[in-house]
Amino acid sequence: MKKIKNISGITHFSLTELLGPALILIVFSCLIGFSSASLMLTVQLALCYFVMVLALQVFVGNSGVLSFGHGAFAMLGAFVSGLLTAPVRIKNNALSMTDLLQSIADIQVNLYLSLLIAAIVGGVVAGITGVFLMRLNGLAAGIATFALLGVAYNFFFNNTKFGPGSQALPGVPKFQNLFIPLLLALLALVLVYLLNVSSIGRTLRATREDNLAAPALGINIIRVRRIAFALSGALAGLAGAMYSHVAGTVQVQDYYLGFTFLTLSMLVIGGSGSIWGALVGTLLVISVGQVLLMMEQGKAIFGLSIDLPNGARAIFIAATLVVALLWRSSGVTNGKEFAFPNFKKKSN
Amino acid sequence: MVQAILDAISLGGTYALAALGLGLVFGVMRLVNFAHAELITISAYILVVTNDLPLIVSFIIAAVVTALLAVAMELLIYRRLRGTGPAIMLIASFGLSVLLQRVYELIFGALPKSAAIAPWMSGEVKVAGASVTISSIATVVITVVILLIAGYLIERTSLGLQLRAAAIDFKTARLLGVRSNRLIASAFAMSGVLAAIVGFIVVVENPQVSPMYGVNITILALVGIVIGGISSLRGSALGGFIVGVILSLLNTFLGNARVYAYSWLFLLVLIILLVRPGGIMSKANEMERV
Repeated sequence: MKKIKNISGITHFSLTELLGPALILIVFSCLIGFSSASLMLTVQLALCYFVMVLALQVFVGNSGVLSFGHGAFAMLGAFVSGLLTAPVRIKNNALSMTDLLQSIADIQVNLYLSLLIAAIVGGVVAGITGVFLMRLNGLAAGIATFALLGVAYNFFFNNTKFGPGSQALPGVPKFQNLFIPLLLALLALVLVYLLNVSSIGRTLRATREDNLAAPALGINIIRVRRIAFALSGALAGLAGAMYSHVAGTVQVQDYYLGFTFLTLSMLVIGGSGSIWGALVGTLLVISVGQVLLMMEQGKAIFGLSIDLPNGARAIFIAATLVVALLWRSSGVTNGKEFAFPNFKKKSN
Repeated sequence: MVQAILDAISLGGTYALAALGLGLVFGVMRLVNFAHAELITISAYILVVTNDLPLIVSFIIAAVVTALLAVAMELLIYRRLRGTGPAIMLIASFGLSVLLQRVYELIFGALPKSAAIAPWMSGEVKVAGASVTISSIATVVITVVILLIAGYLIERTSLGLQLRAAAIDFKTARLLGVRSNRLIASAFAMSGVLAAIVGFIVVVENPQVSPMYGVNITILALVGIVIGGISSLRGSALGGFIVGVILSLLNTFLGNARVYAYSWLFLLVLIILLVRPGGIMSKANEMERV
């Protein structure tokens, strides 16, 4: 049978497409992560971002509907997990949390349970808001999800009963090693891949390609979008919770515009149609940022030392994003899944 | 009370101008130009830096530089991304926005720069027995004049006709002889001039200019053009106006709960969008074309 070319996203389950990215993720994390303590932190952050980008891929990549609201679910996940795991002693005594509800201050659960709860909360809230939001299309959906982010930010920034308000929540336990975040990222990778090859993933991509033909074939656009939105909200909640356990703190600004656009950029740079694109985009942006940071600090990279003035790094990162889009607007991977390079001559 | 109403109208007018600038560009190329914020910011920076010059001279410099920056954005970046779809262009415009913010930080420093611009505007006068600030009256006058001029340009001139036609259906407009490159470049230039005016209005009220100065107003103007009705310029301006008025009224009447004004505003926006996905100016069941 002739294969259809240039289709973005997966059509059938293939072990290569799943194991390829998984192996690359493991090798990257271990090679870089174990070379120094500061790089370990970078890798842990990269893994959080990767889970977030996967969450965006499930919904934004597959449905083609832009969502800025995932930052809100990540924020929620971070607050849930951070507040549940921070020690009771700290929550009762920290100056930034004198207003905190007593029932929240007196509760403490272990890390794994709190991650699970964060994901569930993210999923439930995304599911409920999705019921309303998924009726919208295009830019209206983008702005409506942005409004969601705006409400979440405004609420958590000013409210001191359900969190530290504009201040940082101290004492959130950190991941002790690389394996827990790596395991979580791999779990998310497998889940998202399985979802993408399932009928939900395929119908979702069908609605992205043609939102008139899809319902004509009996696809209920709103229903599949709602399901995907809820699932990606759960992943975003998990990503936010992971981020709080890497940073060791929760601060509402960390999950606002910068976070939202950084993760969306990672997805778009890599190619929004595939999990391979999500991985490439995340690793690319993180690596460029890290290399520039080391240059700024005057460290030698591969024996090469280039001094960068302070502030040049941020300019380079933003410029990379713009240039990457100019160079390849459908992403570095073109939205395709992982495949071994094909050196055979192409027959036309 | 008089002051509250004037504040509402002047804030609404400011957002209407910002929304019109965004709407002009969106109309011709389906681009949500997030970097519009940096156009407003550069105008404010220039006004602060050139505060020693006469106001009119420093404003003209600001307007020219802002318009040039807007056209440069189109020539260097957006022109090459045409046809890639709204999502890609939005992300690119965000990247550009961050890039410019960092460039400003390098040039002007991360700390706010300030200068007393048009200090006579912060004085007060008596109107109908209540004292109101001159700046709020001036803002209302400026926005009304600019909206009238923009209205004339858009409704009565050939360029305006082309802009409106392109906003409704760009492909057909091209087929009918609208020269797309020139039209889009002039839309960017006009949007730049509008951004410069918005920059002037806001810098008089708040002269603390930092690299992210224009972001807030741009986000709200963006919200405005979506709830107003994205495919019509009149709808965009109206939407911006509504957002400004609502925000100002919320700030006045919420009292201590003022900090939650944005939450209420965004909730209201959500409700409007759910009832009228195509914006207030659209028919209830109209499908969006983007």
